[in-house]
Amino acid sequence: MTQTMQLGKVADQSFVGRVRTTLARRTEGRGVALLTVILIGVAFFEPLVFTAYQVSLGRIALIGIVALGLTAVILMGELDLSVASTLALSGVVMALIPDIWVGILAALATGLVVGLINAFFVAVVGINSFIATLGSLFALRGIAFVLSDEAPVSLENKDAGIAFGMPLVGPITPRIIFFILVFIAIQLFVSRVRSGREFFAVGGNRQAAYDAGIPVKRRIFTGFMISGFVSALAGVINTLERTTADPTAGSTVLLASFAAAIIGGNYLKGGRGSIVGTLIGAASLGILQVALTLSGVQVPIQQIFIGGILLLAVTTDPANLRAVLGSVKSLRVGRAKPQVPGSGS
Amino acid sequence: MVKETLTEQIALSEVEAKSEKQQPKQARWLTWAAENGIFVFTAILVVFAVVFIDGFASLINIADVLHRAAPLGIVAVGMTFVVISGNYLDLSVVAQIATSAVIFVAVSNEYNIPIAMLAALVAALFYGVVNGVAVGYFKANAVIVTLSTTYIGLGLLRFFSGGSIFFGPPDGPIATFGSSKIGPVPYSAIVLVIMAILLQVLLTRTNFGFLVRSFGVNENATRLGGSNTGLVIIGAFVVTAVAAMIAGFVMAAFSNTAVSNDGLGYEFRALAAIIVGGTSVFGGRGSVLRTLLGVIFVSVLTNILVLSGIGFGYQQVALGLLIVLAVSIDALARKVSQR
Repeated sequence: MTQTMQLGKVADQSFVGRVRTTLARRTEGRGVALLTVILIGVAFFEPLVFTAYQVSLGRIALIGIVALGLTAVILMGELDLSVASTLALSGVVMALIPDIWVGILAALATGLVVGLINAFFVAVVGINSFIATLGSLFALRGIAFVLSDEAPVSLENKDAGIAFGMPLVGPITPRIIFFILVFIAIQLFVSRVRSGREFFAVGGNRQAAYDAGIPVKRRIFTGFMISGFVSALAGVINTLERTTADPTAGSTVLLASFAAAIIGGNYLKGGRGSIVGTLIGAASLGILQVALTLSGVQVPIQQIFIGGILLLAVTTDPANLRAVLGSVKSLRVGRAKPQVPGSGS
Repeated sequence: MVKETLTEQIALSEVEAKSEKQQPKQARWLTWAAENGIFVFTAILVVFAVVFIDGFASLINIADVLHRAAPLGIVAVGMTFVVISGNYLDLSVVAQIATSAVIFVAVSNEYNIPIAMLAALVAALFYGVVNGVAVGYFKANAVIVTLSTTYIGLGLLRFFSGGSIFFGPPDGPIATFGSSKIGPVPYSAIVLVIMAILLQVLLTRTNFGFLVRSFGVNENATRLGGSNTGLVIIGAFVVTAVAAMIAGFVMAAFSNTAVSNDGLGYEFRALAAIIVGGTSVFGGRGSVLRTLLGVIFVSVLTNILVLSGIGFGYQQVALGLLIVLAVSIDALARKVSQR
């Protein structure tokens, strides 16, 4: 009798336990929660968003494509603040070159070179990536200003741009196709390719990854080049759709793409996160933006919303919440008994 | 390691600094450049400007340089606290400067100057506490936290001000303060010097300053030493916010106007000044007076570029390269000294 009960209990526990471990392993929890809240809110207040799903999809792709590249860097515990400037610079480079294909190639090459330079300063020189990419954020924007003479550059081949902006099948524009392709490529890279999976190891514990024989520096180079390339791709798409390249482009993308990646559960110190999470984050932000625009909310208020969500996302990370609980506890225990984490080393 | 007390940690870092004398030549050169390069570079830059740049040494130009250096310097000496505490930087000074300038001019038009200052102070304290709580207690990344508060703050400001420009009364006390000077030295530069001295004393002579520095050296040791590290971080962000507020006052007085994009670019130039001055982005090392020297360097460099007719784009490139170069020297010096 007792045995069967125990057995049943054990089996039940193991099932709950299994569900729990699966849930604990996923990092998208907050993203899913936000998306649910936003979807319910939108269904109540602005159901137009669902009928105008073409607009929503376009907006999600706009935010998401940069965020996807960013995720590759964040997984390694680094940050690439220069994505917005890379987007602007590659657009300007592309618009300045008369031949459209050469222009696109040059723009994508620009992205790769930017990634290479960023990675050099982070991996070889050893500068913190926040500072290194902050420097390149401003330097690249400066170069974009210099190249464009501080004015928007219009594309030589306007017809190609207009053709690019047209939907192919139903509401699917080429931008959305590119977004899906980038998503699949990066998702496959970090989950199926060995060097991509090693990104998690590099982010989780860099010393351990190095000791295990993972070429850490080369992975950092790969990560920054992915993020540079993807933001250059976003710049190319932007330039094609608008048929002009604006050297100030991308300043709103910076905030939104970071917010998407962080809401998606990508831990800023690296090692935890997922590309799917970024997709969920981008989806919730995109839908929110479209809903706010459709209900006639002014741009400043939209900024407040997205800034607030980013602040909420970055402070409600499980690790951060644990830190808060710890400091609250130590406040209650008092100064006399500081907690000693571990005893060795 | 855990048993080491705070004083031992700091003593250790001093021993490390002393043992640098027995290093190879290259390492010694790099550490020297990271520590003292700014004195030489500033001197060279000023001499270069005086000799080669037409119109640099004129009284009008010097007054202009000081006028432009003052708000930048006031922001930078405040932000030095955040950088020394090892939290990289406070991007939200952009929003803080603009908020303070707009509140200052708009409220003083409506009521009077003391009430305007009080209102701006409330806003500044709010910024400092929000940033500080998120970074100090929630242990969130300072760059992302201040990026989001920048957008929240600018959004609020643009919504309430409607993006319009606020003008002060043409002969009011604000305008008088902004245009008055002693010789070539504008009042705003005097405010900068007073701020720098006060903050240097706060950093080097008070318990709070000691905790900010020790937090930058070793966060765990500071906490185990029994101090409330969260409060220290809030303090560092509040100092930055109050400095940015005063910079906003000075900027509003200079032009007698205020608009919601007043602070654009200041976060970046202030960081450049702090890092070029020799304050380490890795935390723990640096001083307010060094930042002052960095401010002189950045202002003179910008002035040279402007006088030579070099455009905004190139100035951004130059400042970006300057930051990366200065941090590279710091990082390389750390690397070789750890070998």
